[in-house]
Amino acid sequence: MDTVRAFLRHPSGMIGLVLLLVIVIVAIIAPKLFPVSPWEMVGAPFTPPGEDGLWLGGDTLGRDVAAGVAHGARVSLLIGIASALAAMAIGVVIGAMSGYFGGKVDLVLMRMTELFQTIPAFVLAILLVATFNPSLLTIILTIGAVSWPPLARLTRAEFLRLRHREFVEAALCQGERTWRIVLGHILPNAISPILVVTSLTVATAILLESALSFMGLGDPNLMSWGFMIGAGRTVIRNAWWMSVFPGLAILITVLAINLFGEGLSDVLNPRVLRRRS
Amino acid sequence: MSEAAQIDTPVLAVESLSIALPKGGDRELAVENVSFAIKRNEVVCLVGESGSGKSMIAHAVLSLLPRGVGIVAGAVTVAEENPAQLDGRGLRRLRGGKAAMIFQEPLSSLNPLKRVGKQIEEMILAHQQPVPSAAEVQARVQTLLTQVGLPNPQLLERSFPFELSGGQRQRVMIAMAMANRPALLIADEPTTALDVTTQRQILRLIGDLRRERGMGVLLITHDFGVVADVAHRVVVLRHGKVVEQGPASEVLRHPKAAYTRELIDAVPKARLADIHGTIARPEPLLEVVGLQKTFRVKRGWLQPAREVVAADGVSLTLHECETLAVVGESGSGKSTLGRMIMRLTEPDAGAIRFGGADLRQLRGEALRQARRQLQIVFQDPFASLDPRQKVGDAIARGPMAYGMSRTDAMALAKRLLVRVGLSETTADRYPHEFSGGQRQRICIARALALKPRVLIADEAVSALDVSVQAQVLALLAELRQEMRLAMIFITHDLRIAAEIADRVIVLQKGRIVEEGSTAEVFTAPRQAYTRDLLDAIPGRAFFDQPGFAAGNASEFDDRVQRDALKM
Repeated sequence: MDTVRAFLRHPSGMIGLVLLLVIVIVAIIAPKLFPVSPWEMVGAPFTPPGEDGLWLGGDTLGRDVAAGVAHGARVSLLIGIASALAAMAIGVVIGAMSGYFGGKVDLVLMRMTELFQTIPAFVLAILLVATFNPSLLTIILTIGAVSWPPLARLTRAEFLRLRHREFVEAALCQGERTWRIVLGHILPNAISPILVVTSLTVATAILLESALSFMGLGDPNLMSWGFMIGAGRTVIRNAWWMSVFPGLAILITVLAINLFGEGLSDVLNPRVLRRRS
Repeated sequence: MSEAAQIDTPVLAVESLSIALPKGGDRELAVENVSFAIKRNEVVCLVGESGSGKSMIAHAVLSLLPRGVGIVAGAVTVAEENPAQLDGRGLRRLRGGKAAMIFQEPLSSLNPLKRVGKQIEEMILAHQQPVPSAAEVQARVQTLLTQVGLPNPQLLERSFPFELSGGQRQRVMIAMAMANRPALLIADEPTTALDVTTQRQILRLIGDLRRERGMGVLLITHDFGVVADVAHRVVVLRHGKVVEQGPASEVLRHPKAAYTRELIDAVPKARLADIHGTIARPEPLLEVVGLQKTFRVKRGWLQPAREVVAADGVSLTLHECETLAVVGESGSGKSTLGRMIMRLTEPDAGAIRFGGADLRQLRGEALRQARRQLQIVFQDPFASLDPRQKVGDAIARGPMAYGMSRTDAMALAKRLLVRVGLSETTADRYPHEFSGGQRQRICIARALALKPRVLIADEAVSALDVSVQAQVLALLAELRQEMRLAMIFITHDLRIAAEIADRVIVLQKGRIVEEGSTAEVFTAPRQAYTRDLLDAIPGRAFFDQPGFAAGNASEFDDRVQRDALKM
């Protein structure tokens, strides 16, 4: 496909993709790389990096930081992707209804979206997680519930743009049913920017999850990057490695996703691809 | 230089010019071995269909070719300079100095955020050495605006492009082009985006300015009507090669090349004799009564909304197998009328009676069922097909929505594709693989798949090349007989209306100003507005149209002679 080929020629997009693939592979083979649970104490507390066979050192209780980072990748990616998909599902449905039907439906849905946009996402996320017990599912749903407004607005704008295009009106005149027009004609032509924003939402979702875990509001059974930084922050002056390595992991992952998303955006953008006239 | 020598030197000489396209284009050379010259006070028309390379030549003259496209052989000489050899500075001096250009779409050629006076000033300041004083520049801007026939130059100078009409914008573009008294004016389809009446005014203006200043004009057009009205010499291009060139009267009267003949023949002409008189049938198929529609455009908090009347008591009837043309300038509400009948735009008042019911009262499923018998073909064949849907699916979707099985619908789609002149295998291809004319055929097949009784064609051939236009019109005429279709043909081009319609409705500002059989309206127009529209048809004098009021070939010869004497 042309799109795939164009992406392969996009330098920063490819860097993002390669980094992302490395992180995904680490996440997948983490149990093989570190068969011992990351919660297990394997060395002396405060082991500096490189000693006792712990490449990235040990934490305050002697747990392996490297194992934590590898296992944390699973959690971060899972929550990041799942909650971005949740946000996309909510955002696309609300945006599509708002853009297609217009009028009162649009008015009500957009005021609701604005309500969500006026509340700081992180504060709302804390509130939601604190109300429901923190678990993998509630965290995913919470992050999804605070991340959808930009996607809804984007979808609405795309629908408004396409709603009165002649091919959509032609489909209407052909007697096609509303759901077929929406799913068959408008959505496929609107999907590119939605995918790009969703991919970037993965990055913010990972940051949100880390922040929640840092606050101690993560799933207590899962080793995550945010939790590790939170646990190591009090001793950062004499044991920098406990916070720095998970921090770097977050930095690299978010950077990789952003590079990938921007590459995707460039490739899917018709102005860059140059439509054949 | 002596006066005589100056007259002999052409202002533009194109000598065996070849321009290469980047690899992977549809042909190797965009332009191949093209030669022609323009003398002072001469209008040369470059004529050809889309893709013939006519714009490429114009862009090469000012060294404006897109990246990856370059001159591989031959040379262009503009006012004794070769733009290909000039450096950036020399080019800037040439462009807008000795040679100026105006484009097809005046809105996108003007800076939307700058007042038009400032934009004209810029042209003067960029070229005049020494820089004239502010008062002098101001005075020259005023003069220019007056010269291009714009009303109230003081006010106009302070307007933004969006506040002007299409014709006014093109006049501003011409004023900018004239700012430095160019020896050569290049006009790339300057009137294609404009109404017939505006087109005539703009062409006249260019002609007047040329005579006053003795400049050479390179006019690019696809319309032989325009050629007949303004050209001294014609260069006919096809696939980048010159098919024929010579004096306008010669080429138009006795074309040597078969292709030129085809293009001239393809210009729509009234064939009033062929049209069968409408037999008065008691029951009209479609009856529109007193449609009313006003668009309200909000203009900020404190200003009152601007109201545009698109339909003011429009009533019409349409019988089986009849073609009704709706003509008018842009903004006359003709497209809105078609859209209201299709229920794509909601009228404020009135009734649309079809098949014993008022379409305006129908909702939901009942409306969906009624729509089946009314179909529409839109103007832009590129916008009216879903880029992500295969052509066969696009046609089959309609019958499937009304319960036909997929296999039957696909078989029908393939039959229809063959009927409109495409092959069965095209069903599996995507719209971007087709040309504009082919796409419009697909759109027609899509509309016909539902076996409608009424077909609305909203400027359905306006975006097509003239030869393709003729083919699509012929196809529509055939299908009308075959399927006993009633058609509403919305167009701004009266030539097309005369060619295809039984009856004509003339719309002005949402109101029907004249209605009657095509022969009546075209031979004996009752309203001044209709007469204006008829007078503005390009090439009317040359294409001595049977039945047209006061159009005759001698007018064309008069003009040619007049111009010859003046040169």
